[in-house]
Amino acid sequence: MELIEHPPILHIAAIPDHILYTWIAMAILVVVSFVASRRVQLVPTGSQNFMEIVLEQFVKELDETIGHGGRRYLPLIATLGLFILVSNLMGLVPGLVAPTANLNTTAACALIVFVTYHVIGVRKQGFIPYLKHFAGPVPTVLKPLMFVIEIISHCARPLSLSLRLFGNMMAGHILLAIFFFMMGFDGMLGWALRGTMGGLVIGAPAALIMVVFVVGFLFPLKILVAFIQTFIFCKLAMLYIAAAVEEAEHH
Amino acid sequence: MQRIVTMSMMALLAVPGMAWAADAAGGADMAKAFAVLAAGLGFGLAAGLCGLGQGRAAGQAVDAMARQPGAIARIQTAMLLGLAFIESLVLFVFVIAVILLFVKS
Repeated sequence: MELIEHPPILHIAAIPDHILYTWIAMAILVVVSFVASRRVQLVPTGSQNFMEIVLEQFVKELDETIGHGGRRYLPLIATLGLFILVSNLMGLVPGLVAPTANLNTTAACALIVFVTYHVIGVRKQGFIPYLKHFAGPVPTVLKPLMFVIEIISHCARPLSLSLRLFGNMMAGHILLAIFFFMMGFDGMLGWALRGTMGGLVIGAPAALIMVVFVVGFLFPLKILVAFIQTFIFCKLAMLYIAAAVEEAEHH
Repeated sequence: MQRIVTMSMMALLAVPGMAWAADAAGGADMAKAFAVLAAGLGFGLAAGLCGLGQGRAAGQAVDAMARQPGAIARIQTAMLLGLAFIESLVLFVFVIAVILLFVKS
């Protein structure tokens, strides 16, 4: 990996890259939020308008998924969503690192979701009734079996949440790195610039095709993936919270 | 077709033999080679089967959208969630492949 991967622009020796770029993502979010909410007006303009549109999407999804009382969880979901979105999009800028392309960052986000929805479930329902719900609506004989299976499935949730986001971002990162390597000065472009016959005939068109492919296909795909992964992370977090809350209302 | 399958099966059967034969020569190099092989084969297998699964899911979703244009938004959400679940299995294999390739054992 170190062979083909370009080191990030900003690099401090004592601090791991993903921590540094998490701070940068946080700084971006803080600045945008501060500018947007500096002078809150009834009829929003400019950046306030933009942030309101973004947050309205979260509110819409929350209303759809959790329904009544879902807006209580807007701070949690929107914070996670905006952070993950900004981190994902940072990975698209050459020279920056996506903090979400590191398993530690995504595992932190997934663990927050995991702990939160259990706490919400316990608070809504009480500890013992919440535990009983793991057994599910099956005959009494099967309840211990169901309980164990449910516990395992709940433990798999943060694992799959974090690995999904990390895998997507990391895969895109490696893909882009390989393509940049292949078309760069060590690859096709370098071959073309060397001035040999084969370089001019094969290297130059190949470099051109790769540039078109990366700019025309890979970058839009990565932008799409960044948005979809954010959406999926938030949607799953909402679904888990909705499951924890809904059980309380039925009984 | 059958010949290709037979030949690839035979090639796969020959692999452990080669491994045992080369065991005395250089254990670490051989392990590295097999890690690369496993990463490539496993990820290719996972990606191909994920393609089948996702194609089926997306096709059915488009079918449903064509039948009921009114429910497009909800079908899309369900489709995206389903695709993410299918895809996450491939990403597990991807993580394993990355571990095989880049983590020094």
